[in-house]
Amino acid sequence: MTEKKFDPVIVGFFCNWCTSAAADLAGTSRLHYPASIKPIRVMCSSTVDPVYLVRALQEGADATILGGCHPGDCHYITGNYKARRRVAIVKTVLKSLGFEDTRVLLEWISGSEGPKFARVMNDYTDYIKKCGPSEFKYLDSLGGEKVD
Amino acid sequence: MTENEMLKKFIKDAFEKGLIEAVMAPSATQDSYTYALITKKEDVDKITPIAPVMQWNGADMIRRITKLKKSERKLLAILRPCESRTYKELVKFNQINPENIIVLTYDCPGTVHARNYKYEPTSSEKLIEDMKSGKISKKVRESCRVCEYPTPIKGVGDIGLGIVNTNEPVFFSLSDRGKEFLAGMEISEGERDDSTWVKIHRENREKWLKEERITGGRKGLEEFLSSCLNCHNCKDMCPICFCKECFFEDHSVFDYESNKFYNWADDKDGIRLPTDKSLFHVGRLIHMGTSCIGCGLCQQACPMDIPLYRLFGIVGDDLQKVFNYKPGVNDDIPPVMDFREDELHEFEGLFGGEE
Repeated sequence: MTEKKFDPVIVGFFCNWCTSAAADLAGTSRLHYPASIKPIRVMCSSTVDPVYLVRALQEGADATILGGCHPGDCHYITGNYKARRRVAIVKTVLKSLGFEDTRVLLEWISGSEGPKFARVMNDYTDYIKKCGPSEFKYLDSLGGEKVD
Repeated sequence: MTENEMLKKFIKDAFEKGLIEAVMAPSATQDSYTYALITKKEDVDKITPIAPVMQWNGADMIRRITKLKKSERKLLAILRPCESRTYKELVKFNQINPENIIVLTYDCPGTVHARNYKYEPTSSEKLIEDMKSGKISKKVRESCRVCEYPTPIKGVGDIGLGIVNTNEPVFFSLSDRGKEFLAGMEISEGERDDSTWVKIHRENREKWLKEERITGGRKGLEEFLSSCLNCHNCKDMCPICFCKECFFEDHSVFDYESNKFYNWADDKDGIRLPTDKSLFHVGRLIHMGTSCIGCGLCQQACPMDIPLYRLFGIVGDDLQKVFNYKPGVNDDIPPVMDFREDELHEFEGLFGGEE
């Protein structure tokens, strides 16, 4: 059998004011972060309906990241507090049904934290590589036997 | 005098005294019971205040009445305890204007599944008899057997009618408005002890929460929902799903070019269609789980008899524990409408907010 190396797909919803700026900074500072991260720029972490997180997971992502400003630093004053509640709901639902709740990650990365951005993306990709493909993406499909 | 006759007399007296101008209560139809709105004293005999079936959630009906404008007449709504909690929750969500509405609720004997009732009719008197002897009738729905609050709660609704553990049913007030109303009716407030009736249900519930949980991730969920038709009846009947436009009703959200489907089928070794079937339930849980009242109408509405309340009730219970929130029993703000600055750090970062 040919061994296929598992290359995860990680969808990142990054807030326009902090985490997206940090992604830019990481790029201009020539810090390396894996290509498995597919960034989507949103205006605020609270604009992401929690359903989009699970929808990304179902449509083929192995993990999702929601990146926002540090608590208290939100451009819209309170957006990231609401985002935190929503992530708490998603994670609880996934855990309660027996899925891995680590497939959803909430991180606070401010615009000046380019190195932190690169580190978090590297660490998380390594972690997901170790975990293997997400079970959630095989929901309502015929496949999904575990491959090493 | 049966409880239903007593309530009818109560309503007639209230009409005579001018305390109310309209009543919303269940009324018998050929095969079931539906809510009826009456405005005349002569029509009171057409209603059955305590029905053996709950086909719709009464709070949802009040939401329709007060959708555009507050109630213009003094309305007495006769609701079950779960409906009165829904009423309270919908008031918090600004879906019901409580002005001019008096809610009367009572010790609930449970309700029969609407479809079972159609083929095997029973009467509320029979259910109440079972309740008085301290046992839950075998005929009642699963969600009623594991109800967390089967009796009126102080602060939820206005007037309570105590039936268990008392020779004669007693009225008592649940709010200041209810106190005024009962004083206007010249009824003295009584007391009764409902703790045993509540205890039976709570014990059932504890057992149920442990045993009926859907586990096993993908396999468990797929097995549970295997016969789902994606008809969205559970959403339509859910009183908490009040959005004008549902994310999952807008099918254009799930429109893709054909290649997308073929690619998925390549990647996932075949996909089942429609692709949003299980996602609909997970998504609905995320949207309304924190406020799931436990009326169990999702389960009653399911044409394929999927015990959906096990999904929404148990996962909803987990969600409510995270936020330390009980929907509809007190004045706490629903979790989705509120936030704290210092909370939920265990959900930040990969391993619980370290760094």
